[in-house]
Amino acid sequence: MPGLLILLAFLMAGTLLQHWTSAPIPSAILGMLLLLVFLLFNRKVPPSLAQTTSTLAPLLPLLLMPVSVGIVTHEDLIRTHGITLLAILVISLIPGILVCGWIMSRGK
Amino acid sequence: MSVLFNMPLFWAGLTIGGFLLGQRVYQLTGKQPFLPPMLTGIILVITTLKLTDTSYEVYMTGGHYLHDLLGPVIVMLAVPLFQQLKAISQNAVRILLAVTLGSATTIFCAWGLAYWWIGEQTLANTLLTKSITTPVAVAIVPQLGGEASLAAGFVILTGMIGVIMIIPMLSLLKMNSPAANGITLGVCAHAIGTARALELGEQESAYAASAMTLTATLHAVVLPLLAPLVT
Repeated sequence: MPGLLILLAFLMAGTLLQHWTSAPIPSAILGMLLLLVFLLFNRKVPPSLAQTTSTLAPLLPLLLMPVSVGIVTHEDLIRTHGITLLAILVISLIPGILVCGWIMSRGK
Repeated sequence: MSVLFNMPLFWAGLTIGGFLLGQRVYQLTGKQPFLPPMLTGIILVITTLKLTDTSYEVYMTGGHYLHDLLGPVIVMLAVPLFQQLKAISQNAVRILLAVTLGSATTIFCAWGLAYWWIGEQTLANTLLTKSITTPVAVAIVPQLGGEASLAAGFVILTGMIGVIMIIPMLSLLKMNSPAANGITLGVCAHAIGTARALELGEQESAYAASAMTLTATLHAVVLPLLAPLVT
């Protein structure tokens, strides 16, 4: 449980930081960066946080289902542009794969 | 029956049930990358919404129980990122270059194509989030003037397409070292690619997980700052 409290505390800190600085970055992302800075100073993950992480991580896809179901509100768009969008997703991956593969293999 | 279909708990329960069913299906079909548990669950929920003629707003009265937990879980992503920093520190410059240039190439290519072929700002901007793991994409897409549910759809599809394309393509080009495979899976196919890397080996999965979290962190910070240029 202390792990969950740590997460909520950093989420709150991120929300406050976002409020004060009006940064365009979402509060949860700021909370994540703050937690990363904390971990870098602390040099290790507190056991309770490690435990909370291993419990919550497998549930992540479940928590994303409600927003994904929202695709039903875009039926018209999928009907008109579905095939084009699929083509864009496939084609745009090709240069990305080439660049990554090339940089990681170059000079080895 | 209409009382049941207006009950928030019914929809929250169906979402959880759908996810559990999805996990069963995923196990039974030998972990097919194009059938992640989430997708089976989403299809089940959408079919039920259609059959009962229920609106998304009514669904969300239950769905938000789960959705509201996303915030703390996004914060949690700092933990795996911290754990992988050691693994990537020896090869940091090369990895950072691959993550930055690789992810920029693919998202701006998608943005340009959408602008040119469809000419719709919302769609093009939503595509900018396609290479970041879903929770982060959903969190930053409003800043870019995109749509959260579309972003989630694009991210999941990209991951599935990436898993199908990446390894065969890299093998064909003889660029399939564990580092290249892992980094490309993480950059181009985020969490779904990382799950695939887990099957390839320990080295691949460490590279993929680092690439995924680095891409997500970089895009989460940089894309909102670029937003004034594209909106």
